[in-house]
Amino acid sequence: MADAKWGMVIDVDKCTGCQACVVACQSENNVPINTEDIFNQRRAIEWIRVERYWEGEFPDVKARFIPVLCQHCDDAPCEPVCPVFATYHNNEGMNVQIYNRCIGTRFCANNCPYHVRYFNFWEPEWPDTLTHQLNPDVTVRSRGIMEKCTFCVQRIRRTSREADRDGREIEDGARELSPACVNSCPTSALVWGDFNNKNSKVSNLAEKEMSHNGSHHGRGYKMMENLGTSPNVIYLKKIDKHAKETVAHE
Amino acid sequence: MIPGDFQIRKPSRIQVLILGILGIGGLVGAVVGLVLGAFVITAWLGLPLDVFGLNEGPEQPIAFPHTTHVKSLGMDCTFCHRNVTVGAAASVPAVGLCMTCHKTIGDGNEEISKLRDYHSSGLPINWVRVHRVPDHVNFIHEPHIRHFGEKYGGPAGTCQLCHGDVGRMVKVKQVRSLKMGDCVDCHKANDAPTDCTTCHY
Repeated sequence: MADAKWGMVIDVDKCTGCQACVVACQSENNVPINTEDIFNQRRAIEWIRVERYWEGEFPDVKARFIPVLCQHCDDAPCEPVCPVFATYHNNEGMNVQIYNRCIGTRFCANNCPYHVRYFNFWEPEWPDTLTHQLNPDVTVRSRGIMEKCTFCVQRIRRTSREADRDGREIEDGARELSPACVNSCPTSALVWGDFNNKNSKVSNLAEKEMSHNGSHHGRGYKMMENLGTSPNVIYLKKIDKHAKETVAHE
Repeated sequence: MIPGDFQIRKPSRIQVLILGILGIGGLVGAVVGLVLGAFVITAWLGLPLDVFGLNEGPEQPIAFPHTTHVKSLGMDCTFCHRNVTVGAAASVPAVGLCMTCHKTIGDGNEEISKLRDYHSSGLPINWVRVHRVPDHVNFIHEPHIRHFGEKYGGPAGTCQLCHGDVGRMVKVKQVRSLKMGDCVDCHKANDAPTDCTTCHY
């Protein structure tokens, strides 16, 4: 899969804020359990999180949700600051974190504008009843290293290996290939695929919704685009007939 | 005292004591240093030094002779290590698989009676693991067997590339360091991917 460029399209209009993606990610990727204590210390680890915003005054309050995960930026600010090359861009357009190289300087997390890198301040612990639910395909990270969304690279590796073995093609958007968050999304708000494949769902959505040559005709935007990080995650903004007219695109 | 009549002064008891302590301390230090040096060299090589039987391989609960099964009987590795062509782990066979033959074969052999005890008690055999890569390495047997199998005609010739000639080993021991440099060298030589996320995720 060396010629792929993985990316995601998130339709904020479809997101109901149900947190299924968060739970799926935690269990797929052996993310330690976040207790109340850890949340209060602002050290919770969530590779994907659903941010909630309130809009309007009571009683006309609207809840707005936006799932935020590692944007796998093409010009990732986290990469050049790592002194040991523990984070780098691989040939599949992914920003990857190599745990055994990481020495825990936390420079990358400080430099990430999306706050999607998480540091293991403690040795992760699971209750005895849950030790057998750990995913054997994913490393359990120890104390003192950085971790983040991997686009479930273990699934990409396993699927491409099995496809190689059985001599079959992997179809676009196959469940076995997609990250856990995408598979678990009940409204299919998250779409994941290969931007290099011109016929993939994500490519079509990007073609349809993103601006081309300055003319903006779709709902697509990238988070904090003005920073020049060129993320590989595209958001489609919410359709809201009752929303106040804003001067979004002057 | 006549000039030139030089005599070594007899050391006092305190001096003897100090010198003695220093001497013994130095000797102990030298031995500790040697052991530490051997440890560092071993760690560097990834294998115990092949001296004094350090790299002999562990004692297993049943002295399973690979020599008999592979060398004399000519059994294929994949007959027992069945998962090797399918998945990540090569897998150790269940006691039941051994019993398909050893129900009838090997009466009177001490090791085989041990095996039968395991089988009747229903307990697994606690084999001592010989080859282990760290937890942050996702080594998968299947693609290696698939790739080299085409070259060397089936899985049997492939196993010994990393595991050595197990068929001739009385006690199974590790023969290759299996450190990252070892992996990467081989990956480069065979045009296999060397991206970090090939193995580390």
